[in-house]
Amino acid sequence: MRVVVAEDLFLLRDGLVRLLEAHEFEIAAAVADAPGLLQALVEERPDVAIVDVRLPPTFTDDGLRMALEARRAVPGLPVLVLSQYVEQLYARELLADRAGGVGYLLKDRVFNDDQFVDAVRTVAAGGTVMDSEVVAKLLGRRSREEPLARLSAREREVLGLMAEGRSNSAIAQRLFVTDKAVSKHSTSIFTKLDLAPSDDDNRRVLAVLTYLNG
Amino acid sequence: MSVRMQDLVLPILAVGAVAAVIRVWRGRAAKTPPGRLRELAWCAALLAISVSVLSALYPLFARNNLQWWALLIPLAAAIVLVVRPRPAERAVPVVLILYGLFGFMVARDYVGGGINTYGLTMVGNPDVEADFVLPQAYVFLLLGSWLYWSAEGTSARVRHVLGRLSDLQPRGQLLALMLLPAVVVAAAFATPDLWLGADAGVGWTLLLLAGTVVVLRKWPEFAARAATAGIVGLGLMGLALAAWAEGGGFDFARTPYGGILYGAVLVSTWHTADAAGVEGLALLALGVWLAPQTFPQVRRWLGMAPDAELLGRVQRLTESRAVAVDTASADLRRLERDLHDGAQARLVALGMNLRAAERLILTSPDAAIALVAEARETSARALTELRELVRGVLPPVLADRGLADAVRALALDCPLTVSTEIDLPGRLPAPIETACYFAVAEVLTNAAKHSGARDAQVWMSHAGGMLRIEVTDFGLGGADPACGSGLAGVEKRLATFDGILVVSSPIGGPTMIVMEVPCALSSRRISSC
Repeated sequence: MRVVVAEDLFLLRDGLVRLLEAHEFEIAAAVADAPGLLQALVEERPDVAIVDVRLPPTFTDDGLRMALEARRAVPGLPVLVLSQYVEQLYARELLADRAGGVGYLLKDRVFNDDQFVDAVRTVAAGGTVMDSEVVAKLLGRRSREEPLARLSAREREVLGLMAEGRSNSAIAQRLFVTDKAVSKHSTSIFTKLDLAPSDDDNRRVLAVLTYLNG
Repeated sequence: MSVRMQDLVLPILAVGAVAAVIRVWRGRAAKTPPGRLRELAWCAALLAISVSVLSALYPLFARNNLQWWALLIPLAAAIVLVVRPRPAERAVPVVLILYGLFGFMVARDYVGGGINTYGLTMVGNPDVEADFVLPQAYVFLLLGSWLYWSAEGTSARVRHVLGRLSDLQPRGQLLALMLLPAVVVAAAFATPDLWLGADAGVGWTLLLLAGTVVVLRKWPEFAARAATAGIVGLGLMGLALAAWAEGGGFDFARTPYGGILYGAVLVSTWHTADAAGVEGLALLALGVWLAPQTFPQVRRWLGMAPDAELLGRVQRLTESRAVAVDTASADLRRLERDLHDGAQARLVALGMNLRAAERLILTSPDAAIALVAEARETSARALTELRELVRGVLPPVLADRGLADAVRALALDCPLTVSTEIDLPGRLPAPIETACYFAVAEVLTNAAKHSGARDAQVWMSHAGGMLRIEVTDFGLGGADPACGSGLAGVEKRLATFDGILVVSSPIGGPTMIVMEVPCALSSRRISSC
């Protein structure tokens, strides 16, 4: 799987590259600024891009804006955005095109390399991975709004974990239930959110988007 | 006065009905019923406008006998008011003011045929005009002005129109405005044509007044000084003129108007020369009284204390600067303490854990692994703490995107459901952005904690050099900045930027907090590369 990494701090960039190479990713390009990122995305057409929000030249949200721009040009281009902080505002902007293949994680999540690599693969496969901090904030606020109000507490919990990009078996492990119970919950979630039967991955993305976007 | 009541009954009834509907509609739509006085003013304004417009169009009605048209005008006014309340709130007073000014022209017979009535009066009889048109014109003008001043967002607009004059304190503004009468008197003295020969002089008069207004807007301090100097000069001139005339040194019959115009007096005989002398004396006294107020030098020569207003301003600036300095140093101390007790301590623990693990790694690898895992957790906690710290110093969205998006992000994170309406097409100076961000954050936190509301709204826009932020929650009300809430602190911090905070929070709600900060909006946006 070919990856483009955009991170301006050398130590972090180097660490990311080594981590990804250890998990048998191919590094198509590792760049340090926003123009370099755009060039790499256009020329290399990677399977997934890992992008720091704050990049030169302005050191504000160049990385995020570049990712959004690239996704406007190439809809669904998988992008995993990393940041020192997570903002619901930015999460919404990333999810606004409803195309999937989007991730938004705190940089700390790199510490747990297995989970991080899973997240990269989920995004590359068109899934949606939101940081648990974003999800936790939403869990408190949105639960009384339609259509999420229709879900039971357990179903909301499952949906929250889906939004974090976890697979059914990972969710089962986390909630101490069987895989079968999780798939029963997810079917119920899809029904309650009026998501017509289609392939499971697609419905997962849509359910998560409903959850995150309202 | 020839009022034809039968022509007015229908529109008055229509306006009454429409006003009642608007009252109900507006009360419901805004959740906050407007004040009773304000409501009455609106109904009166609608009534006045409709009647006035109708009467201005009277020839049309009379000719075509289309009395039902009368219904259309109040109806249209009502629709505009309901659909676009904000522009209408500004448009209605402007129309009233214009109609008031129009009344003066009607009274002076500047408007020829075509106009049969003004307000409630038939035009055509000079006695009636003088007695009834002018009072009505004054009523329209005053009503319009009052409504204009009380309309939303007007203060910023007026500030814009007044230019630098609005920066002065009320007393300074009054002093500067003295320039207008001074110019009028001086001009009349210099060329009586301007005022006596109306046809030839009107253009010049207007030009002169326009020039005066420009000076008032751009150089108000200069205007005040020029007015003072001018008034002193005019006073001396009046006394000289009186002395000259008394001495019989001038043949008044030779002047084009049979005398010299001085203020309100045409000096032509010894009798009028006395009047000019009194006028001159009064002007001189006024000028002498004004001089120390407009010229600090005079104040110093006379050994007087500095201007009280200036002292007040210095006092306020000293206070707000003390608050700013205190806040800044308190923030620094808090930052130092948080770093010391938080991230720094965790890094020490991290180092100790790693050192212990290093020692144990060969002898008991399991214990070493446990220590390393603990070290990793510690570093994650340190990161979380640093993140919170950074958010408290300068929230990342504020740094990245500016105030508008930062407040939107704040609204998303708030436990209340907050709707935002923000019109800020650019960036503000960084210190003001930060102050306003934390002000909105504090107000929203207060609302979430104390108001019991579920919904709130934030409205923010910049016009005429003034940033205005309104935060409304639909909770219990009863918020009071004096009762130890964070609002007093917010007010003090905004004062550093000459900003103000006003709280309206009746028991039972809603609570509305308005903040205004004068500042420039830079249109520069960070280009997306």
